Amino acid sequence: MIFDIFLLQQVINGLSIGFVYALMAIGFTLIFGVLNVVNFAHGEVYTIGAFIGLMVITALAPPLVAVVPLVLAAGALSGVGLERLAFRPFRRFTDEASQKSRAMREATLLSSLAVSIIAREIMMHLFGGDMQGVPSDYLLQRPVAIGPIMVATGSLVIFATSAVMLGALQFLLYRTQTGLGIRAVSNNQLGARYVGIDTDRTIVTTFAVGSMLGATAGILVGLYDGAISPHMGFAPGVKAFVAMVMGGLSSIPGAVACALLLGVSESIATEFLSSGWKDLITYSLLVITLVFFPQGIFGHGRERA
Amino acid sequence: MPLDAVTDTTTTAVRRILEVRDLKVRMGSQEILRGVSLDVREGSIVAVLGANGVGKTSLMRALSGIYRTTGGTTVFAGQDLTNSPSHAVVKLGLAQAPEGRQIFGTMTVRENLLLGGRVRSQDRAARMEAMLELFPRLRERLSQKAGSLSGGEQQMLCIARALMSKPRLLLLDEPSLGLAPMVVKQIFDLLVQIRSEGTSILLVEQNARAALRVADHAYVMEAGRVTLSGNAAELAADPRVQAAYLGG
Ligand SMILES: Nc1ncnc2c1ncn2[C@@H]1O[C@H](COP(=O)(O)OP(=O)(O)OP(=O)(O)O)[C@@H](O)[C@H]1O
Ligand SMILES: [Mg+2]
Repeated sequence: MIFDIFLLQQVINGLSIGFVYALMAIGFTLIFGVLNVVNFAHGEVYTIGAFIGLMVITALAPPLVAVVPLVLAAGALSGVGLERLAFRPFRRFTDEASQKSRAMREATLLSSLAVSIIAREIMMHLFGGDMQGVPSDYLLQRPVAIGPIMVATGSLVIFATSAVMLGALQFLLYRTQTGLGIRAVSNNQLGARYVGIDTDRTIVTTFAVGSMLGATAGILVGLYDGAISPHMGFAPGVKAFVAMVMGGLSSIPGAVACALLLGVSESIATEFLSSGWKDLITYSLLVITLVFFPQGIFGHGRERA
Repeated sequence: MPLDAVTDTTTTAVRRILEVRDLKVRMGSQEILRGVSLDVREGSIVAVLGANGVGKTSLMRALSGIYRTTGGTTVFAGQDLTNSPSHAVVKLGLAQAPEGRQIFGTMTVRENLLLGGRVRSQDRAARMEAMLELFPRLRERLSQKAGSLSGGEQQMLCIARALMSKPRLLLLDEPSLGLAPMVVKQIFDLLVQIRSEGTSILLVEQNARAALRVADHAYVMEAGRVTLSGNAAELAADPRVQAAYLGG
């Protein structure tokens, strides 16, 4: 019985970590959907979200709910800037040779990697490489008893925020003209141009939306863990990337499900293995997926335009 | 009313919905279009014929703003369209049912149609209804994924999607490709009906016989240039056209 409660507690912790990965993975998936390229700077957007949140907190000490809109705005801005700097310059080429060339795809990959390195270096320069503490009023570590289990306020805040954001995303994608446009560009970019969609604008919007989710994940984890550093985006970035690949690259429900699976597996595994082994779980799951489900668990063979 | 008199003389003159002059497209070192000129009269069907790889699709892409042109001009309904971005072109009333159809296969038929009409959102419901009248097969399939339709149905969806924007000129790039003769006939009959409802049509085809049957005027392209043009009936009778495109 005690063991069961303990396990349940780990599952809940795992789910909250999983939702953080999910918020990140959705950004990856959305951006991969419209561009067919992985955005290597996504982890830095998460870090920027955390630092902007921290700066707002130390400068203005606003109520917690007011921090989120500012972080969302910062996320949207960094998404737009990232797209302009690292992705748009490579979309000038319309001839078949460059559109199909590996070199062009790799160049885009590398440009986002370069932007991510520059962003990290700038943050190191501004804030130093050490962990920054979060003012204790804003820490989300207070335990709350729900029946026999104890849940940290951070987990509850993560559950609530993720639920709201997933709902808002679903509304955006399936109930608005903007969302219809994003889905059209993901399905067939050339077709989208023929119906009169401004694809550049749609791509920028997608970066803004994906980065808003990523930046929010960053500040939530920052307040939960109580520490923020320029390197904090790397590990969740890798996990979210794995969730996207396992989910089939272009499936949002798939990415979310795999992110939750990763979070829970890690959380349970840390109880049986020493915590240094936890990343091994992620990578083992990735390898197993790629071997047995090369299209991802939820993949369905993506149509390419 | 002297002003009326002036207007009158201009309206009796032939109105051209599209005037293309010396259009050039270059990709890398290759010159794909080497100066194409053609006209589409308001209310007519114009066909562009030509063998594989002569640049028909490139011409259509240049007209829709998908390819940048490196020379020449395009005037549509009196407005200079040269190198306008694709989204501006559609908004002005020039829509295309492109080569390869380019429908949204993972989205429903309804969503495909809605996307076709997104540049003209006021009367979209009425437009959709009109399309379903014109293509009754699509009504049964409204909630199905577009990718699950048959080839003929996908072609109809592609044309209906383009018509959703209520274009003044409809471009069609090989609508007959890969379809059974029955379906081809059905689609070409529809083109005549679409024209009678006031939409001018510019049609690219390798199926010269079907195209010349419905067209008023036709152009023949070879290696990035127009080499022959004329009244569709005259061209159909021309021995050079018969030898090259109508199988002797
Ligand atoms: N984006 C591009 N990049 C490089 N070359 C291109 C591109 N588009 C077209 N071409 C080349 O231009 C030439 C004309 O192609 P286009 O597709 O316009 O011909 P087409 O007349 O439509 O042929 P088909 O009857 O096969 O459809 C071909 O040699 C083609 O390889
Ligand atoms: Mg072609």
